[in-house]
Amino acid sequence: MTISEETLMAFADGELDAAGRAAVEAAMREDPEVAKRVARHRALRNRLQVAFAEELAEPVPQRLLSAVRDSSAVKASNVVNLREARAASARAAKARVAGQRAGAQQTEDRTSWRQLGSIAAGVLLGLGIGYFSWRQGEAPIERGASGALVANGQLAAALSGQLAAEQAGGSAVHINVSYLAKSGEYCRSFTLARAGATSAATSGVACKDGQQWQIQALVQGTPVQAAPESGGDYRTAATAVPPVILKLIEGQIQGEPLDAAGESAVRRRGWQSPQ
Amino acid sequence: MNTSAASQNIHEQIVALLPRLRRFARNLTRDPSDADDMVQIALERALLRLEQWHRDARLDSWMFKIVRNAWIDEVRSRARRDKIFLAEEAGVDVGVDTTRKQQTLLSVQSALLRLPEDQRVAVSLVLIEGLPYKEAAEVLDVPIGTLTSRLARGREALQALLGPEDEHA
Repeated sequence: MTISEETLMAFADGELDAAGRAAVEAAMREDPEVAKRVARHRALRNRLQVAFAEELAEPVPQRLLSAVRDSSAVKASNVVNLREARAASARAAKARVAGQRAGAQQTEDRTSWRQLGSIAAGVLLGLGIGYFSWRQGEAPIERGASGALVANGQLAAALSGQLAAEQAGGSAVHINVSYLAKSGEYCRSFTLARAGATSAATSGVACKDGQQWQIQALVQGTPVQAAPESGGDYRTAATAVPPVILKLIEGQIQGEPLDAAGESAVRRRGWQSPQ
Repeated sequence: MNTSAASQNIHEQIVALLPRLRRFARNLTRDPSDADDMVQIALERALLRLEQWHRDARLDSWMFKIVRNAWIDEVRSRARRDKIFLAEEAGVDVGVDTTRKQQTLLSVQSALLRLPEDQRVAVSLVLIEGLPYKEAAEVLDVPIGTLTSRLARGREALQALLGPEDEHA
């Protein structure tokens, strides 16, 4: 009887059922060569275990420990998807009207909108505090006529004018990536440097809607990283974008992000939707 | 809700997994600083969707999978942004620092880093991290037969690179 190498390997790894084990054990008794092959698989496993055991004793960097232990600071509660909040608010208004007519009780939608509303207020409050030192009267984000949050001041200027490929390390707004969203709007992700730049920054995504940059999402608590030394180091920039923002972009993006030439061309057209 | 004690507990379980997550990430990315970046991204993702982890599933497998997916995303976005694919052959000899460790240990580690990614990851999950085949196949989203054949090829390649242990001892 011949036994395949994969079966012997599975035996050495403890993956066979009782019948399989019995068959291999019998073959090992009959044929010393089989026993030798099994021993070789076990020895390799051992050797790997020993060689890689040492790494487990290395101290874990503080930033990783903090990522878990301070996670209350990075919880979903300081991420606001503003588009969802607006949709919830519209649903709630509709439900309110319906509710008044039918005398029905308040809906869950309304509750969840209230919660979202207070979270959004918290983020804005954070912005207000964090950006107090911005030029007075020039908060980076304000509430537009329709109630939506829109970029203002230096943020609006950077969104319209700054190319991701050419930006100074010290600028107050860092543009991360520009892309065409499935909605047909051009969107850009940004990070606002906080005055003093030692603590958490705020990142977000804004999409050009007519004349305004509508804020799609904001995340606080982005770890501030050293600006890339050269314009070419995208890896540093990539890790500075919070994963939730990357996920949002992955969900929205149509095709590839704009490269330097694409950004420049779309900027000339005022970031207007191609449709 | 009385989940706060339980969630505290999960956080501490994740902390306890950190050395293994870092080790797996190093074998995956072949670069210690990439490895820690991937672990950090994975931690952030995992903590945002803790509710997706089923209590009867193994926490280590779940976390390994998130680390691996973070790396897949990273490699993709680097390729997309830089339009440069990381050459498989450019495999930097990393995972250990340059201080002299025992000859045999160095050779086991550099031998592993020389394997193609599929084999390296299969070997890493099963032989180093000790996952059962079924768990490792789930981490990689492949059928168990694919996992075992990658593992068998990886083992064979390692045997060829390392030779019998007694010749090195």
